[in-house]
Formats: sequence, structure tokens, C-alpha cells
Amino acid sequence: MNLDANVSHPDDESLMREIREGSHDAFAVLVNRHSKRFYRIAHRLVFNKDDAEDIAQEAFLRLWHRRELWDPARGAKFTTWFYRVVINLCFDHKRKKRPSDRTENLEPVDVNPGQDAQLDARRKLALLDGFIRELPPRQQLALNLCFYEGLSHHEAAEIVGVKVKALHSLLMRAKTTLRDKANRYLPGGSV
Amino acid sequence: MTMDLKEFKKNVLAHGSDLGNWPEQIRETGQKALDGAAELRALLADAERFEGVLKTRRYEEPGEDLAERIISASVKKEKAPSTRNGFFSELLQEFWLPKPALTAVFVSLFFALIIGFTVGFLNSSGYVSAEQDETNLQNLLYYEGEVL
Repeated sequence: MNLDANVSHPDDESLMREIREGSHDAFAVLVNRHSKRFYRIAHRLVFNKDDAEDIAQEAFLRLWHRRELWDPARGAKFTTWFYRVVINLCFDHKRKKRPSDRTENLEPVDVNPGQDAQLDARRKLALLDGFIRELPPRQQLALNLCFYEGLSHHEAAEIVGVKVKALHSLLMRAKTTLRDKANRYLPGGSV
Repeated sequence: MTMDLKEFKKNVLAHGSDLGNWPEQIRETGQKALDGAAELRALLADAERFEGVLKTRRYEEPGEDLAERIISASVKKEKAPSTRNGFFSELLQEFWLPKPALTAVFVSLFFALIIGFTVGFLNSSGYVSAEQDETNLQNLLYYEGEVL
């Protein structure tokens, strides 16, 4: 791998070019740089550590074994392209897996003082995860990419495959739904 | 340019409660609208609380050796020759169906089998009784004897 003083921190696209030529060292650099980031988005979508680790691994192995599919001429940003790879694997995984614990059976909580304390932090987090899990896939994606991952709206829109305006609409609907559910199921009004 | 409540609310949902993160072209208008309306300030405070709740969401950290595992798996997988089992499991994966569809296929096959058996038993044209079988044998013997 070409690692002289000027390119000691090659960008992702340069690494991809080297990977395409078969450099396993470049692959290792890329994995060390990004495995946690892509694990994180997988975990936010599949809600399970082991599954998220498997998905991150599978995505990187596909990248390595099908490295010739990366086309530098397209000028795509590596992370944008790879987010799509990981997200597709997450949705494949969700399709294959039986839907589990949902929040449909939850009773709305009466809003009265003191009840807030009864719902411990863990339960609140589980509820929040449940609400996010029930969002339509593209709304979930928009929320995770923009709010939790802090991507620019332009990049997030490219990953989701919509225009920026449509992404805003997805974000707005996601947050409105979450706010409504939080108001309904969690004590304390507007949370 | 002004920003009414509805537009302000939309922008808060899309860009967040921190006006510093809003796109430059709407930030100033948003700030002016905010300065002049208590209603918008209340809306913003509410959005901040809501975002605070969203931010409490946690995720489990991956194993420390995640990157290492991926790198070594990439080497192993390349070295491993493809086995017959691997081939069949890949083939099965290609034709994998969701559980309800798989159940539907099995139920259809089962009913097709039952219908097949029923039709087979009801259709007596190919059925030969023991008595008939004996007569046929006698005819054959008689016939062959004549030839001989």
C-alpha cells in the first residue's frame, strides 16, 4: 500500500482504489476506520448487538470479495455507498426475522404527578426503541441518519434515495409520530 | 422575509431546535421570527425537550475486537475452498421464502397429495380383483398350451 509521508492518512476513496487492486492492507485500514460507524447504524436499525455485528462483518466481507464492483469513475463517496450496502443488509435481515416485541399492547399511561417516577429509565428507553421500530422504514432511516448519525441532509437524502425536500418530509413525519406516541404512552405531556 | 408559526414548526422538525444548525438562508429569518413571538419560543423549548428525550436512546457498543474479526474473516473466507454444503446452503438461501409463504407452499403440496391419493383410489378402472386375476391367468395358460 502506498503509505508515504504525504498520504499517511489516505481518504476512503483512495483506499477503495487500492482495495480494488487487491490490497488487503488498505482493506484493514478501512475496516479499522469505519467498522464502528457502520455497526452503529446497523444496531440502530436491527436493535440487536450480535445481529448488528454480523451485518457489519457481512458488509465488509462483501466489499472485500466483490471489490471489483466499486467503480471509482462514478465519483461516489465511499461512506454514502457503503451506508446503502449496510442498510440493505439490515432490511434483508429484518425481512427474514420474525417481528418481535411491539408496543401495540401497551396501555396509555394516565398523566398524573408522581407516575413519571414509576417508569424507570430503562423502560422509557425500551418504549422509545419500540416507537422508533414501528416507524415506516424510510422514516426510521431518515431519523437515524440525520438525527442520530448527524449526516448532512444532502448525504442522507442520497442514501435514502430521495430528494432533500422528501427527506425533510420523512423527518417531520417521523418526529411528529414519535412525539404523539410519547405524549400518549409516556407521562409528562410533551416529553 | 418573514416566517409564520407553521413554517417555523416545519423547520424545527426538519432541522432541529438549534437554529445554528439551520441552513444559512433561513437561519436569520427564523431568528427574527423567534425574537418577536413568545409562541415560537415556547414551541422551540418544547422541541428541545423532545429532542432531549430522543437523545436518551442508547446503543450497545460493539465487541472490542470487531474490526479484527472482520479482517481475519476476510482472509479465512478467501482461503476456504467452497464445499458442497456451502453450495447447497447458498442455493437454499437464494430460494429462501418468508415463513408464511413457505407454509402456504407446504399446505398446497399436502392437499395436492391428498387429492392425488383420493382420485387414485376412486378410479377403479385399473383395479383387478383376485377372481379376475385367476381367470386371466387361466386364459393365459390355456392359450399358451394351445400354441405349444
